[in-house]
Amino acid sequence: MKTLDQTSSLFWLLVSISVFVESLRLGIGTLKNPGMGFLTFGASGILGILSFVLFLKASFKKEEVKTAPLFTGQLWKRILFILIVLILYSRMMSVLGYLISTFLLMTALFWILERKKIVFVFVSSILTTLFTYFVFSKWLNCQFPDGLFGF
Amino acid sequence: MAQLPISGWSVRILRGKVGFFDNIIYGFQVTFQPINFLFCGIGVLVGTLVGVLPGIGPAGAMALLLPATFKFSPTSTLILLAGIYYGVQYGGSTTSILVNIPGEASSVITCLDGYQMARQGRAGPALGIAAWGSFIAGTIANMGLVLVAVPLARAALRFGPPEYFALMCTGLVIVTYLAQGSILKAIMMALVGIILGSIGLDIITGLPRFTFGINELTDGVGIIPLVMGLFGISEIFVNLEESLEREIFKTRIKNLWPSLKDWAQAKWAIVRGSIIGFLLGILPGGGAVIATFVAYAVEKKVAKEPQRFGKGAIEGVAAPESANNAAAGGSLIPLLSLGIPPNPIMAIFFSALIIHGIQPGPLLIKQHPDLFWGLVASLYLGNFLLLILNLPLISMWVKVLEIPYKLLFPLILLFCLIGAYSMNNVVFDLYVMIFFGVVGWIMRKFGYEGAPLILAYVLGPMLENALRQSLLISQGSFMIFITRPISAIALGIAFLLLLSNLFPYFKKQREKYEEFKE
Repeated sequence: MKTLDQTSSLFWLLVSISVFVESLRLGIGTLKNPGMGFLTFGASGILGILSFVLFLKASFKKEEVKTAPLFTGQLWKRILFILIVLILYSRMMSVLGYLISTFLLMTALFWILERKKIVFVFVSSILTTLFTYFVFSKWLNCQFPDGLFGF
Repeated sequence: MAQLPISGWSVRILRGKVGFFDNIIYGFQVTFQPINFLFCGIGVLVGTLVGVLPGIGPAGAMALLLPATFKFSPTSTLILLAGIYYGVQYGGSTTSILVNIPGEASSVITCLDGYQMARQGRAGPALGIAAWGSFIAGTIANMGLVLVAVPLARAALRFGPPEYFALMCTGLVIVTYLAQGSILKAIMMALVGIILGSIGLDIITGLPRFTFGINELTDGVGIIPLVMGLFGISEIFVNLEESLEREIFKTRIKNLWPSLKDWAQAKWAIVRGSIIGFLLGILPGGGAVIATFVAYAVEKKVAKEPQRFGKGAIEGVAAPESANNAAAGGSLIPLLSLGIPPNPIMAIFFSALIIHGIQPGPLLIKQHPDLFWGLVASLYLGNFLLLILNLPLISMWVKVLEIPYKLLFPLILLFCLIGAYSMNNVVFDLYVMIFFGVVGWIMRKFGYEGAPLILAYVLGPMLENALRQSLLISQGSFMIFITRPISAIALGIAFLLLLSNLFPYFKKQREKYEEFKE
């Protein structure tokens, strides 16, 4: 936990400095007439101090340095793959439309864990896509993008 | 959506000519309208399903269904959301008892004795007392809600910006104080939440800030993608890192009606759990999770044979299950009477009200009696529906538990994507959700909690508004917060809570509490 706290506190320290500088740029105003950056100026200032305190606390903690990596085993690669798929889906949705992009997304997601059962993957993806389309678009009137193909 | 006009009924309430029972009857008239009745039923069923399934919490489920409620009235929307909330509390107990895996954080403690009861062939009475305890606690909490919310709202009409600022500060301090991990980190998360909440147009000048030139950020970061990312997506990632197989304890579920002996053992546990849950539910950040831990600890303390706990004591199921349902009712009080959401779930309620054009606060009960009393009556109805629907449906929920997670997770992910997108029909919200999904996942690894962040994010703009208004009123003097009694008391409590962390006694008590939780 010691290394984790040191790393995270430095990250928040950087965030606080950035927000602090931006708050000053926005203008903190006066006490009689607080400006746009008034609250964030205070919040980032306290965040910076607390991040520094956390860093010091972590540094002086009598604990053995954790040597195990944060992301262990093969499973985190699965998450990375899912992340890439999700970003691609967000990018392609307005281009390909809801039906095609969702079918591709579901195929990819089902495929990650059920690689051998191709028929199952395809049938599940089609059913899920159509079911959610009719429930959310037709029944609940959600406005999904049509995409280049018009559906 | 346009605000509802003040009805003749509201005028009578304003003149004080309507009694308590008239209001309740009026509430039931609202709740028994077909659409509201249907929404109540759907809410408790979806809530139970969400409670049974790991990976999508109540906040995620509410966020998902919220866009679908836009064409319905705010009353129907709130009834649906409330149904989900206490349905989740009930559903979580099923997995705790039968699988030893809590569907929700508020059912973690039920695993201790519930699962042991199931192993001893007493899954039926465990599920039965959980259902009955939830029902009784829900009823007690409803009564408390009506008794406290109405006078509190009346008193809150006298509150000005300094009082609101002080109350919100105290709320945030209590949230961080009751955080499950490090208080320091919880305060840091609350500050990050305030900064996040300030993204978008400035309330007073109308100019953009922290938008980095991104047009979509001028409306701020949406609460739905934020909540779905921090709670929904990150939970999926955490689950995906672990083994996806889980073992369901095979047992015949019989005798769902607890015996007289069971009742004798559990009755006071239910009453105590209900009271503890209700009181802790009102506190900001208290919510259902802490209520269950405290209720369990109290039962163990007052028990004649505390050694029975952890080995299948029925009080160990009755108390936390009553507490989490009562907390659900109690947490509605600050929201409906003060307009201050005490936990992330209530923040979703808050957003739902705002989206439907209703300003939560002391005037809500007077201006929207149909909403308040309809919601109160729906809580009674929902608890009753949970009891009569879920006990016979337990075998169905067990079947749901048998669905492998590898089939569930793509569906949950898709629902999260649809929920985030359909709020504003903007693809940018999907990126926001994915981003906060990763942030939430990393935050968990680094020991940071999402709850203080969400609450501060919602309270941030209100807090800023109240602070700036107070300083304008006082001509820049901070003494305005000290000279007004309510704000002075509220800030005094916040200060003492922060200070208490420095005293060894309180530190020790907190360490004990953390040890107990582990």
